[in-house]
Amino acid sequence: MAEVPLPESFQSLEPFSAWALATERERRAKRLSSSMEDIQAFYDALFPQLEAVVAYLDQFPLDQLPAEAQPLYYLTLSLVEVTSAVELYHHPHIFEAIEPARFRRVE
Amino acid sequence: MQTATENRRWSKEYPELGTGPVPAESCISPEYFELERERVFRRTWLNVGRVDDVPNAGDFFVRELAVCKTSILVIRGKDGVIRGFHNVCSHRSNKLVWEERGTCRGALACHFHSWGYNAQGQLTGVPDEENFHDINKSELGLTPVTTDIWEGFIFVHLGSQPQETLTDYLGGVAEQMKGAAFHKRTHTHTYKVEENANWKVALDAQNEAYHLPFQHRYSFPGMFVLKDNRYLRLSGVKLYNHHAVWSTTYNSESTPTPTGALMNQLNTATTNSRLPMLGDFDFFVIFPNFVILQFRGIEDDYYMTYNFWPLAVDRCIWEIKFHFPPAETAGQRLSQEYLKHRICDVLQEDAVAHETLQTGLTSQAKTHLILQDDEIQIRHFHKVLEDYMGFFNGRGH
Repeated sequence: MAEVPLPESFQSLEPFSAWALATERERRAKRLSSSMEDIQAFYDALFPQLEAVVAYLDQFPLDQLPAEAQPLYYLTLSLVEVTSAVELYHHPHIFEAIEPARFRRVE
Repeated sequence: MQTATENRRWSKEYPELGTGPVPAESCISPEYFELERERVFRRTWLNVGRVDDVPNAGDFFVRELAVCKTSILVIRGKDGVIRGFHNVCSHRSNKLVWEERGTCRGALACHFHSWGYNAQGQLTGVPDEENFHDINKSELGLTPVTTDIWEGFIFVHLGSQPQETLTDYLGGVAEQMKGAAFHKRTHTHTYKVEENANWKVALDAQNEAYHLPFQHRYSFPGMFVLKDNRYLRLSGVKLYNHHAVWSTTYNSESTPTPTGALMNQLNTATTNSRLPMLGDFDFFVIFPNFVILQFRGIEDDYYMTYNFWPLAVDRCIWEIKFHFPPAETAGQRLSQEYLKHRICDVLQEDAVAHETLQTGLTSQAKTHLILQDDEIQIRHFHKVLEDYMGFFNGRGH
């Protein structure tokens, strides 16, 4: 994803391009394999801009996002992936939950 | 907001269900499980999917029904009709289709000797046919399974002669949900968990709201503790012969998380067709193993389904599906993804409990389940089960 640069107003998110992942399975794996510090840094960078990012993305129909908007969209999905870790658990994993691999996403 | 203040109100409304403890043997007995195969799963209508799963002619999916020891092929014919068949070749009974889903372009060919079938289940090709003795292809189509559709949900019945039509079987549930625009909520996400739990242990654990403030204290802190209803007593319980629904209200005063607050402000995908709901959250158990969960949203409603598929007395697959209206913008999709993510956290907590419950029951330290009044729907479920099984009350079938 890193090959396509982010739209100019969101260049500050460039260091987090590794979070621009297309599938839920990849996003989940990224959360589970990241340290809480890395998760927090990603959240802190994106969350304050989230409204602006969504406003930008919402100019386009979802199925016609331009190439530079696509990674930005994936970043917002990754934010959703980490939101509970940051806002509730302060840990990458859910407490008292089944092993993540057993909760199988059927694509 | 409707609030339950009266104690033990449901047992007064449904005195026929009694108030005593419920035997737990049905969840651990291998003999019981063997009988369930015949007496429950071959005598009831089983939901296997939705019409949206096979939108075009030739589209199919395969359902492994381990509990009925068969594999079912559901396929939309060239005539648009959705049919169910045993997924078994007429030649020597090989399993015909091995993929979970796909599209039949021309013919489905058996992997063994390439006997071919069309999307209507008719046998169309037999290699070296001239060397067979008096075979009539028109009589050697796939074996049909009784299949019917209700509000877009595909059901099969594996009994030789269903006692009731699907509509009669669903009864009051079909009336309650009449016209629900499930077909407008076609954006689906599916999850499967293979669990070391009896299918009923998993279902029972989901089939009440009592656990929500406690078991889900990490994933939804405060959400289920209502000021005037701190134990989240149900706002409604309705019984429909074999089936039941219970409802709760939401805590509109709970403080959302920062992301939750932001998501609440996003515009959401809408269908302009609210679901016919009894509360803010409705949990329909359609006997034996199908659940429809309806959620009241700010601008529109969405629903989920569960199917609990027995594998063995102490193993099952919990199949979970989210059904959202198709999103037109990233913001709409994001708010759906957020809801889904929060709920998936809860379900991953639930799945652990299914297994720890099974472990406890298997130890036989306790022989019965103790149920409170707001767990009356579990009592009802076990009563319906016993009626099908027939041997607890000696009526037989």
